[in-house]
Amino acid sequence: MERVISSEAMPALVERVHSLDNFEALVEQYRPRIFRFILASLRNRESAENLTQDCFVRAYQARDQFRGASSAGTWLMQIAANLVRSHEASGRLKFWRRTLRGDVDPSDAGDAIPDGQTSPEQLAAAKQQVERIWKVAGRLSGKQRTVFLLRFVEDMELLEITTVTGMKEGTVKTHLFRALKSVRAALEEQTK
Amino acid sequence: MSQHLSRLQISEYLIGSGDPFGQWHARECPACRAEIKILARPLALFRASVHRWSERQLSAGVETAPVLQFTRESYDRAWYSAGAYSLLVHGAMAALLLVAGSVKPVQRFARDTATLIAPRLKPYLPEKSAVQGGGGGGTRSPLEAERGKPPKIAPRQFTPPRVDPFENPKLPMTPAIVSSLEPPDIPMPNLGDPLSRLSLPSNGTGFGGGIGSGFGGGVGPGKGPGAGPGSEGGVTGGAYRIGGGVSAPSVVFKVEPEYSEEARKAKFQGTVVLQLVVDEKGMPGQIRVVRPLGLGLDQKAVEAVAKWRFQPGRKDGRPVAVIAMIEVNFRLL
Repeated sequence: MERVISSEAMPALVERVHSLDNFEALVEQYRPRIFRFILASLRNRESAENLTQDCFVRAYQARDQFRGASSAGTWLMQIAANLVRSHEASGRLKFWRRTLRGDVDPSDAGDAIPDGQTSPEQLAAAKQQVERIWKVAGRLSGKQRTVFLLRFVEDMELLEITTVTGMKEGTVKTHLFRALKSVRAALEEQTK
Repeated sequence: MSQHLSRLQISEYLIGSGDPFGQWHARECPACRAEIKILARPLALFRASVHRWSERQLSAGVETAPVLQFTRESYDRAWYSAGAYSLLVHGAMAALLLVAGSVKPVQRFARDTATLIAPRLKPYLPEKSAVQGGGGGGTRSPLEAERGKPPKIAPRQFTPPRVDPFENPKLPMTPAIVSSLEPPDIPMPNLGDPLSRLSLPSNGTGFGGGIGSGFGGGVGPGKGPGAGPGSEGGVTGGAYRIGGGVSAPSVVFKVEPEYSEEARKAKFQGTVVLQLVVDEKGMPGQIRVVRPLGLGLDQKAVEAVAKWRFQPGRKDGRPVAVIAMIEVNFRLL
């Protein structure tokens, strides 16, 4: 299917390509997001910082190849996802996973409960739920976890996720379904 | 329409790919909304917690921004010219200093006004090592060494001196001894021990070539290629040998040597003979194994003897460094 660029879309496309001209601003804008994704994937701050840096360095080196087919954020996220995958493939993570499985502080996760959670037992329950999901996310396979995080932490649309991961839409959906199934199972186990 | 959403449809709704009917139903039907909320609320909590956590980690991290400076400043002409001017000014200043320094009046002025302080180099200079005493020699002749002039000094000995030099050697070398001091100048035609009183041709009672009662290719009662009663190169002064007015050192403090593990297992016994120099203060030094025993006992003996303390040997009433032999017995009970 060939993508036809309408005349109205042209200015937006030009803007996208030019958004890379001011790279510093781009870094400022997307650094927290990229960092968050990598951190949630690897659960290690040092690695996340390194890979975030790597991500922007690669983006800067390859900025001429950016054609504006997607937004700069999606493009950066694509680089980040690739970095995470290669980082895991390099085997370094196996070690980290073993030693730093509990790198996420549950009290940290529980602090971020939105408003309306006034009663202590509700707060405790919410905390537990968050911890459960963390655990599930840690057990997911690499692809499932990436897709899960992109969808439910970064709020990306399905189409964006396909661009980032390079998977087909159906594949992404399958991964998401399976991830949700695990989450649901974990949550139901808790309520029992 | 009355049909509620299945689990799969709820998942689809959450994923964001639900069909229009499903989305409409999810908005309208309270039962389904509640059902969705069971899953959606923890996910929202999870999302919020991840965001919060990430922010906290990011702010806690070391600021690494300076490493990644994406500024697009280029060194255009203004920068180049500024660099050139800077170079020019600095070069001019350096040239000015050089020219001013080479003018005579300026040099004179500097010499008169500036106070030069010579640094104290003494602590950093190598200390001259004390004269190490000298060699011995002889050819096991029954007579003592003959009196004669000392051989010449050389940094290295190739041929030990002899009273009766070889006739027509294949490779003629001047006999020499190793010494840092000038030996006494004695006007005699033949080589010999300058301290001897004998005038019969003899190389002395020692062995190993050379002249005198010691061993090694030197002159005198010591050992090594030097002259005098010491050891190694040099003339006299080093450690004395016992006898001839030199009293033997005596042990004041003694440490029994340990048995090595191997020797104990092998039920090994014997005697290690050590040679050492007892200095003027009674401290042992330069310990050498003369007759080894093996099985680690030699090392144990050396370790033990290094801890011993002596009453130093004396010459003319004064404590002197003396070469002594010590036998260390290893006996199993």
